[in-house]
Amino acid sequence: MSNFPWLTTIVLLPVFAGCVIPFFPNKGNNLIRWYTLGVCLLEFLLITYVFCYYFKFDDPIIQLKEDYNWIDFLDFHWRLGIDGLSIGLILLTGFITTLATLAAWPVTRNPRLFYFLMLAMYSGQVGLFASQDILLFFFMWELELIPVYLLLCIWGGKRRLYATTKFILYTAGGSIFILMGALTMGFYGSNQLTLDFQNLSNKSYPLELEIILYLGFFIAYAVKLPIFPLHTWLPDTHGEAHYSTCMLLAGILLKMGGYGLIRINMELLPHAHSIFAPWIVAVGAIQIVYAALISFSQRNLKRRIAYSSISHMGFVLIGIGSMTDVGLNGAILQMVSHGLIGAALFFLAGITYDRTRTLFLDQMGGTAIYMPKIFTMFSSFSMASLALPGMSGFVAEFLVFLGIVVSNKYSFNFKILVTIIEAIGIILTPIYLLSMLRQMFYGYKFSKFTTFSNSNMDAGPREIFILVCLIFPIIGIGLYPNSVLSLWNSKVSFILSKFIV
Amino acid sequence: MEFIYQFVWIVPFFPFIASILIGVNLLFFPKSTKSLREIWAIFSILLLSIAMIFSFNILWQQINDNIIYRYLWSWIFDNKIDFKIGFLIDPLTSIMLVLITTVGVLVMIYSDSYMSYDQGYVRFFAYLSLFTASMLGLVLSPNLIQIYIFWELVGMCSYLLIGFWFTRPSAANACQKAFVTNRIGDFGLLLGILGFYWITGSFEFEILFKRFNDLVINHEVNLYFANFCALLLFLGPIAKSAQFPLHIWLPDAMEGPTPISALIHAATMVAAGIFLVARLFPLFQLLPFVMTIISWVGAITAFLGATIALAQTDLKKGLAYSTMSQLGYMMLALGIGSYQAGLFHLITHAYSKALLFLGSGSVIHSVESIVGYSPNKCQNMAFMGGLRKYMPITGITFLLGTFSLCGIPPFACFWSKDEIITDSWLYSSTLGSISLVTAGLTAFYMFRIYFLTFEGDLRVNLNKVAFTYPVSIWGELNLNKKNSNKNKFVLNKYDIFFETDQNENQTDNLSFFSDIKKLKYPKESDNKMLFPLLVLTLPTLFIGFLGAPFPEGQIGSDLLSQWLYPVFKSAEEITSGNWLEFGLNAINSLSVVFSGIFIAFILYGPFSLFPQNLEKNIEFSLEKNLNSFFSFIYNWSYFRGYIDVYYNIVFVKGTRLLAQSLSFFDEWIIDGFVNGFGILTFFEGESIKYLEGGRISFYLFGLIFGMIILLFIGFFGAMF
Repeated sequence: MSNFPWLTTIVLLPVFAGCVIPFFPNKGNNLIRWYTLGVCLLEFLLITYVFCYYFKFDDPIIQLKEDYNWIDFLDFHWRLGIDGLSIGLILLTGFITTLATLAAWPVTRNPRLFYFLMLAMYSGQVGLFASQDILLFFFMWELELIPVYLLLCIWGGKRRLYATTKFILYTAGGSIFILMGALTMGFYGSNQLTLDFQNLSNKSYPLELEIILYLGFFIAYAVKLPIFPLHTWLPDTHGEAHYSTCMLLAGILLKMGGYGLIRINMELLPHAHSIFAPWIVAVGAIQIVYAALISFSQRNLKRRIAYSSISHMGFVLIGIGSMTDVGLNGAILQMVSHGLIGAALFFLAGITYDRTRTLFLDQMGGTAIYMPKIFTMFSSFSMASLALPGMSGFVAEFLVFLGIVVSNKYSFNFKILVTIIEAIGIILTPIYLLSMLRQMFYGYKFSKFTTFSNSNMDAGPREIFILVCLIFPIIGIGLYPNSVLSLWNSKVSFILSKFIV
Repeated sequence: MEFIYQFVWIVPFFPFIASILIGVNLLFFPKSTKSLREIWAIFSILLLSIAMIFSFNILWQQINDNIIYRYLWSWIFDNKIDFKIGFLIDPLTSIMLVLITTVGVLVMIYSDSYMSYDQGYVRFFAYLSLFTASMLGLVLSPNLIQIYIFWELVGMCSYLLIGFWFTRPSAANACQKAFVTNRIGDFGLLLGILGFYWITGSFEFEILFKRFNDLVINHEVNLYFANFCALLLFLGPIAKSAQFPLHIWLPDAMEGPTPISALIHAATMVAAGIFLVARLFPLFQLLPFVMTIISWVGAITAFLGATIALAQTDLKKGLAYSTMSQLGYMMLALGIGSYQAGLFHLITHAYSKALLFLGSGSVIHSVESIVGYSPNKCQNMAFMGGLRKYMPITGITFLLGTFSLCGIPPFACFWSKDEIITDSWLYSSTLGSISLVTAGLTAFYMFRIYFLTFEGDLRVNLNKVAFTYPVSIWGELNLNKKNSNKNKFVLNKYDIFFETDQNENQTDNLSFFSDIKKLKYPKESDNKMLFPLLVLTLPTLFIGFLGAPFPEGQIGSDLLSQWLYPVFKSAEEITSGNWLEFGLNAINSLSVVFSGIFIAFILYGPFSLFPQNLEKNIEFSLEKNLNSFFSFIYNWSYFRGYIDVYYNIVFVKGTRLLAQSLSFFDEWIIDGFVNGFGILTFFEGESIKYLEGGRISFYLFGLIFGMIILLFIGFFGAMF
C-alpha cells in the first residue's frame, strides 16, 4: 500500500468531489451542505490516516514522494511530497476548511457554486503545501486565488467589489514575481530546466542574482503574509468577506506566505536569507507595534481583528529572521496557532454580526446578557489571541522571543531593541482586544437588542461545536506544545544546518 | 516521609478541576447547573479544603525536615532546548500554600452567603477556584517560565473577577485597566526573564542563582545590563503588588465583589509580587543598586498609599489604598534586605486585611438594601455610622482587624510592622522616618474608617431623604454638592456616570423596593458570613507570635526565621538586638501610632469636636477651619494624588492619538498610494480612450508633430 499515490488522492479528492455538485438534484441546500461537509471530513480523516501511518516524524527528508510527468516540453512534473514543515499546515488546512464548511451553513445564495469553490480552495491549498516543484507551487498558488476571488465578490459585503479588485491586483501582482523567480532559478546554470525543490536547493547562484531572486519572492510572500507596507488589502478583504471565507483567509491563506518564505527563501536561497534576516526581523518588530496600534483605532469589528492578524504575523517574521531552532519552531507554531485563533475570532465576529446586524463597535454594547455563550467564547479566544499562557499563542510568541534572544547572529543592541519593541506589542494586544470586548459585551444599553431578549439570541449547538473544536487544539498545544512541535523539529534543524558554515 | 511531596500536584489540581467542571457545565447545561448551585459551591469548597489539608501537611513536613523538594517534567524539549515545569517545595512555598488555601476556603464559605442573590453565583465559584488554582501553581513554580505562566493566569482571573458584574460600565473599565496595567508589568517581567536567560542560560531558580553568583564574583557579567534586567524583572512585582507608578489599578479593582477584594486584591494575588521578589532574593541581593530601588519604591508606595487613604469616602477604596501602603512596607523590607520581616508582614497582613475586607463586605451587604446597590452608595461611608450597634460581631471583628493593621501590641501586624520599622531605621534614617510616619498615618486612616463606619449614629436615617428612587436622589445630591463645594466636580461627573448604571440594578432591586421602607436599620449578616470573620480573628490575634522574638534575645531567633532559614542562608540579617531593645523600639513606634489614633478620634470619633451630621459636613468644616495647606493635602488625597488624571491624559489619550494618527497614515498614505495608483490608471485609460477617436487626420497630425519634435531633439542633441 505504500506505493499508493496517497498525496495525489488527498490533493485531488476535494476538487473532483466538488465537480459532482452541479449534478445534484435541485432540491434545497441540505444535500449539498451535508455532501460537502462529508467530503471535507473524509479528506481530513484521510490526511490524518496517511500522516499517522505513512509518515516518519523524525526524518527531515521529503516523504511520500510522487513524481509524474505532466508537460514534457516544459519539464513540468506533478511532484508531490511532504515533510515536517508542510505537515502541520496541511493538517491545519484540513481542520479549518472542514469547520469553515460547517460555519457556512447559513449561506443560501447559490450554494452549489459556493460549496464547489470551498472544495476547490481545499485542493488548491493542500496542493500548495504538498508540492515539491516550484512551477507546481506557482500553479497551486494561482489556482487558489480564483475561488477566493469568486467567494469574495459574490458572497461579500457592501464594498465587496472594491475589496475583490484590490485583493486580486495585489496577490496576482505579487505572484508574477514567483513565476519570474521560478523560471530564473530553473534556467540558471544548466541547459535543462530544473524545477524540483531538491535539485534547486543544490544549485548555487552568484550573490547578486540570489539577492534579486530573494527580493522577488519576498514581494510575493510579503503580499500574502502580509508584511508591513503591502498589507492594506487584508483589512478590506476580511472586512467584506463572508465569515466562512474569512476563516479560510485568516486561517490558511496567510500562512501560505509564511510557508513560502521558509520553503523557498530560507531553504533555496540561504545566502541571501542571512543577508536579509536582520531586515526581516526589523520589519516584523515594526509590524507588530504598527498593526496593533492601528487595530486599536479601528471602529469596525472585522477590521480590528484583521489588523490583529497582521500584528501577529510580525511574530512569524521575527521567528523566521531569528535563524535559530527555537525561533523558527516558534514561527511555524505561530502560523498554526494563529490559524486556529484567527479563524475562531472571525467566525465569532461573523456570528455576532448575524445577531446584532452591525459591525461598528460603538453601536454595540451590553450584549453579554443576551448571548452569554458567545461572550464566553469571545473572551476565551481573545485571551488566546493575547497570548495567555496555557494557550497556543503564548508558546509560539514565547519561543519567538527566546529565538531572538539566543540568536548569535545579531549584535547586543539590536537584540535588545527588537525584543523591547516586540514586547511593546504584548502590551498593545490586550488594549485593543479587551477594549473590543468591553465595547461589545460589557455595560448596559437600552437598545434594539432588548427587544430580542425573549427570543433565543445565543449561539446554537452548531456554532458552539465549531468553537469548541477550535479551542481544543489551542489549549492542547498550549498545555503540551511538544505534541505538535515534534512534527517539524527535525525539519527545522535540517533547514538551519545549512546556515552553519 | 517524603511520600506526601509526591502528591503535591493535588494542591493546585483540585481547585483547577473544580473550576473546569463548573465552567464546562455552565457553558453546556446552564439551567441545570444553576439549579444545582449549592452543590457546586460545596463541591468547590470541599476540593479546596482537601487542598488546604494537604498544604497544612506539607507545612508540617517542612517544619520537621526542611528539605527542598523538586519535581520536574519536560515541557518543551528537543535536542537543544529543554524547558521544564514542575514543583518546588521549600519553606516559603509551604507557608504561601497554607496562606492561600486557608483564606481561599474562608472566602468561599463567605461568598456562598454574600453572592447568594447573584445571578452569576456558579460562575463566581468557577472563577474563584480557577484563581486559587493558578495562585497555588504560582507559588509552587520551580522556574521563571512557570512563574510567568501562572503570573498571567492570576492576572486573567483578576480581570474576570473585577469585571464580574459586567453590566456595570465602571467594572468594565476597571477590569480592562487592571489587565492592561498588569500587562505592563508582565512586559517587564518577560523581558527580565529573557535577559537573565541570556546571561545565565537557565530558567531554573537554583541554577540561575548559582551561575549568576559565579558570574558576578568573576566579573564576567556586564553589571549595567544585569541591573537593567533586574529592574525590568522588578517591573512585574511593581504592577502586581500595586507599587508606586503602577498602583492605579488596585483601587479600581474594588469594583469586583467584596470576597474577591479580600482574597485577590488584599491577601493573595497582590502578594504575588512580594513573593516573586522574595523568591528571587538571592538574585536581587547581588545587585545593590536594584535593592536600593526596591526599598525606595516600597517606601514611596507605603507613604503615598497612606496619604491617599486619608480622605477616601469609599469604604473599600480606603482599604485598597491601605493594602497598597502595606504592600509598600513589605517591598521596603525586602529592599533593605530584611527578607524575614517582609514575609512576616505578608502573612500577618494577609489575614488581617482579609478580615477587614470580609468585614467591610458584611457591612456593605447589610447596608446595600437600605441605601441602594450602586457601589458609591453602599460603600460610601457618608451613609454609614453607628453600625456596631446593629451588627456587633462584624463591628468587633473589624475593630480587631483595625488594631492589628495599626500595629497595636499583641495583634499580628504589630510584630511584623515593628520589625520593618526597626530594620529600616537601622538601614537608613530617611527610610526609617518614612516608615514611622506611615505607621502614624495608617493608624489615623484605619481608625477614621472604623469611626465613620461603626461609631456615632447611623447617618442614613439622619439624612431625611427617602430612598425610594435612587436615581433621582443622586441627582439631588449632586446639586447639593455643587452648591457646597465646587472642587468636587469630578465626583459629580462620576455620579452622573452611574445613573445609567443604576438602571440595571433597578430591575434587580425591584423585589427589594417593598422591603426598603421597612428595613430602616441594617441587620447583622448571617452565620455563613460571620463564621469566616470569627475564624480570621484567630490568626489576626495569634499569628504574630510566629515572628515575635524569643525573650532570650539571640539575633534572628524567632520561629519564622528558623523555618525560613534554609531559603535564606547567605543574607546578612538586620534584626533587632534583644528583647529590651525591641521593647524600646516598639515604644517609639507605638507613640506615633497612638497619636494617629488620637487625631482620628478627635476628628471622627463618637464624641468629636465637630458636628457630624454627614461626612461631607465634617470634611467641609475641616476645610474651612484648617489652612490652605491642609486643604491642599485633603484635595490631593481625595483625588488620589491626581495620578490617575495625569495617566489618563498622557498614556490613554496619547496612545489613542498615536493610534489614530497611524491609522490615518495607513489609510491615506499607504493605502492612498494604492488607490491613487488605481485612480491614475483609470484616468490614463479614459484619456487614451479619448485620444483614440478614430480620425485618421488626428493620428497623422500626432505622427508628424512627434516626428518634428524628435528631429528637433536630435538636432539640438547633436549640436551640444
